[in-house]
Amino acid sequence: MNRFYWSKAILYASLIFYAIITILPFIWALSASFKPLEEILTGGLSFIPKQPTLDNYKQIFIEQPIFLRWFLNSLIVAICVTAFNLLFNSMAGYALARLQFPGQNLWFFLILAVLMVPGQVTLIPSYLILKTLGWLNSYQGLIVPSAVNATFIFMMRQFFVSFPRELEEAATLDGLGRLETFFKIVLPLAKPALAAQTIFVFMGSWNNFLMPLVILSDQELFTLPLGLNAFKGQYVTYWNYLMAASMIFTLPALVIYAFFNRYFIQGVTFTGGK
Amino acid sequence: MFNLKTLSKNKTIRESFSAYLFMTPTILILGVFLVLPIIFAVFLAFHKVKILGELNFKWINGQNFLCLVNDERVWIALKNTAEYVAIVVPVQTILALALATILNAQIKGKNWFRIIFFLPTVTSSAVLTLIFMWMLNSNGSINTLLGFIGLPAYNWIGDPDVALKAIMLMNIWSTAPFYMVIYLAAMQDIPESLYEAATLDGATTWEKFLYITLPFLKPVTFFIIVIGIIGTFQLFDQSYIFSAGSGGPNNATLTLVLLIYQYAFKNLEMGYAAALALMLASVIMMATVIQRSLYREEQLK
Amino acid sequence: MRAKRLAGFVISILALITLAGCRTKDTIPAQQVVTLAGWQSNLSEQRLLKQLIQKFEEKYPHIKVKYEVINSEYMSVIYTRLAGGTAPDVFYLEAFEAPRLMKEGALESLNAYVTTDFNIADFEKRLLDAFRNDGEIYGIPKDFSTLALFYNKQAFKEAGISQPPRNWEELIRYSQKLTADKNKDGKIDRYGFGVSPELARQYFMIKACGGELTDQAGKAAFATPVGLKGLQFVIDQYRKDQSSAQPSDVGASWGAEMLGAGKAAMVIEGLWAIPNLKDTFPRLNYAVVEVPAVCGKKGTMAFTVAYAMNKDAKNKPAAWELIAFLTGTEAMKISTSTGFALPSRQSVMQTFKQNPQYIPFTTGAGYATVWQGGERLSKIVTSFNNQFISAMIGQQSLSEAMQKSQETANKDCMTP
Repeated sequence: MNRFYWSKAILYASLIFYAIITILPFIWALSASFKPLEEILTGGLSFIPKQPTLDNYKQIFIEQPIFLRWFLNSLIVAICVTAFNLLFNSMAGYALARLQFPGQNLWFFLILAVLMVPGQVTLIPSYLILKTLGWLNSYQGLIVPSAVNATFIFMMRQFFVSFPRELEEAATLDGLGRLETFFKIVLPLAKPALAAQTIFVFMGSWNNFLMPLVILSDQELFTLPLGLNAFKGQYVTYWNYLMAASMIFTLPALVIYAFFNRYFIQGVTFTGGK
Repeated sequence: MFNLKTLSKNKTIRESFSAYLFMTPTILILGVFLVLPIIFAVFLAFHKVKILGELNFKWINGQNFLCLVNDERVWIALKNTAEYVAIVVPVQTILALALATILNAQIKGKNWFRIIFFLPTVTSSAVLTLIFMWMLNSNGSINTLLGFIGLPAYNWIGDPDVALKAIMLMNIWSTAPFYMVIYLAAMQDIPESLYEAATLDGATTWEKFLYITLPFLKPVTFFIIVIGIIGTFQLFDQSYIFSAGSGGPNNATLTLVLLIYQYAFKNLEMGYAAALALMLASVIMMATVIQRSLYREEQLK
Repeated sequence: MRAKRLAGFVISILALITLAGCRTKDTIPAQQVVTLAGWQSNLSEQRLLKQLIQKFEEKYPHIKVKYEVINSEYMSVIYTRLAGGTAPDVFYLEAFEAPRLMKEGALESLNAYVTTDFNIADFEKRLLDAFRNDGEIYGIPKDFSTLALFYNKQAFKEAGISQPPRNWEELIRYSQKLTADKNKDGKIDRYGFGVSPELARQYFMIKACGGELTDQAGKAAFATPVGLKGLQFVIDQYRKDQSSAQPSDVGASWGAEMLGAGKAAMVIEGLWAIPNLKDTFPRLNYAVVEVPAVCGKKGTMAFTVAYAMNKDAKNKPAAWELIAFLTGTEAMKISTSTGFALPSRQSVMQTFKQNPQYIPFTTGAGYATVWQGGERLSKIVTSFNNQFISAMIGQQSLSEAMQKSQETANKDCMTP
């Protein structure tokens, strides 16, 4: 009993320790977002602003009158990208894990190989392709190329590999087609994997910087990271604005995470009942 | 397997048809926006490319690859990157698994822990790197903290012996939660009944972890390691910001992708950059294959 | 206005849902469109530029200017767009990047457009020369800045120093006096001098002592005894005296931050530091003087940016009108009024010469080294910055480090 008690105490202590390590930089950034620049630069490590101010946030909203537009652009792109990814990645992952077809291994290998070439050398060719399609400076130029994601196809495949087969077999016996089985039986059971995918794809799109930077030249179409980058000056870093901006940035992604997190808590039971 | 042979030919064709139906969006989009540019990059790798003025290409056989072998900085970058991968991938995988296992158990306030642990993942890596540089400078908070508990201070950013380690620490810290979430998701799929049966057989918690949880997580672990290898081999952001793009001091933070970037966008030697990228891709491929074969052997045990 | 924006937004969403419609370009045929791209160094400067563009459009109603902001990775984006044939008609170009673009034929020569009433002789020759190749002019400098020594008057008073250093020996001596551990915790709180270990800031140190960055053929040639003499001062001060610090050593991102936060008593910075210090550290008591002489010679850097015209510009005469307007006397008066940079026209410079605060910068313009160095410069910069720091932290000697840096920069496997 005593030993059990101690191990539990150690467990909680290490959890709390790790939590502190993770949260400290954030608290620091959060508090910096309420400080004037001078205090950030001279004040050292204090977590509580001496002269708390909302100016940094105000500056972002007022100095950048189309801030709301950027926010909406980011939101539209992120939501569309997430929706397409959830559907397409899961379909491809399922086919690769569960169906037998000629070229299966080749496709799987190709999807992995695509990940291995760094984006720095494909940037210009991608740009040329988007230009040929006439998709520069457009939503579809941002959305369509990222509507599937090789990483998450791979992830979904690995999830589906360890899925129990019984339910699908039962569905086939009930006369359901492949598509129906997938949408009615498989997807609802894959909730935790889908939730994880939602979080990551949304976040990836939300933070995406390089591609929008290159293909968007029209300020009206900027996404949030592009717009807010203005606060990193040519010579000066406006830490105060940057921190406020990064807080505005982080929040939506965090909300998405907190929301989908619940799918990891209610485990899904497969067996032992219909 | 045996079952498959008895399937009627008709059924096989139908299955292939639906498989390709499922794959169509992926094939189309990846084909146009990733495979096509990669083919173009392969083409570039065998040319001397001029992108300014009139775009033009000159076939130079394999000279780009020849140069690559004789380029000292390529080897330094490869060494740095390999060292980085060898340390970061195992540590972050184990850390992620440990965190996920703990947070999947009956722990008070686990929701809060899950949200807090996830924080590093939601912020863009550029902002994180800036915060870290702030904390890591000689007079910064980390050294203050170290001094407080009586440990020596380091010049984390300036000293080449520790600069790469600082980046490693930072990367482990910020990506482990990403993999933790994937593990957590995978753990939800483990049928509860397996554990219940094991409990009846008198298995300890440790045994249950070893014989039920781990084997079940195998496919996901494979994913996490492969993606970890790919991601760490492509380290760029952090070393770019740490060294202001130079890869210094004395090439200590030079990584392959940073080198590719320098050649592609600073020196405008696109062909050479593409050759370098192909080399990197083949190194990653080799690492993945090796990892896969090791993993298979493990499975036999 | 809001309704219009909303309508645009709804249309965009519709276009998105169908994923079919390309963005409709609302160009009125009678109007000519000129695209202008630049980075945004600070908000007030951008506001002025937008005002100027508005004035331009009023003056030339048949021309519409489309202003594009590229906030980071500026040259990478420009290169990508040049490769795609979608680059802006007129864009900012740093002197540093000019040689390559001029030589590769990506820019339009402006000789044919320059009229007598544009008065090109009014431009500071040195700056204009940075954008000249074989007698052709490829860019009109919009403004420039030189470097000068900023020092904390209060700190000087405390250390009993009555006047700013005139040469590098004095700077080193004063730095020792100014370096202080004020709260006696065994750690230095204020360094005498804040140093930026980058080639862009150190080039003049090479030149002042008789070295050259590159040889006739454009290859790096700075690792010579005279070339290293000036740099050795920087290394010795950092290593032996420990009376200087880099911004990253003290958690600052650049020199003015070190000065303002009291972490360095002297820094060498550009004109742009003045408005920034005023905004961020309004109580700082500082003064500016010329950069102290090195090896008995005065030296400083000059950084300049021009408006350049894309070779593929659709509407070249209109693009020139825009360049000519923005670099004209009237516009330059307005655009340099923020005090972030000096005007490149001598006639406009007159007003700056009356303000004592600007004198060290305007005087420096007379002997400054323009930040430029041929097509190979970006390679030299990367290898120099990589190795110079390694010498600063004592990993290798300066001559070793610079030798290595020079070799790396000159190595060219690819010469056909």
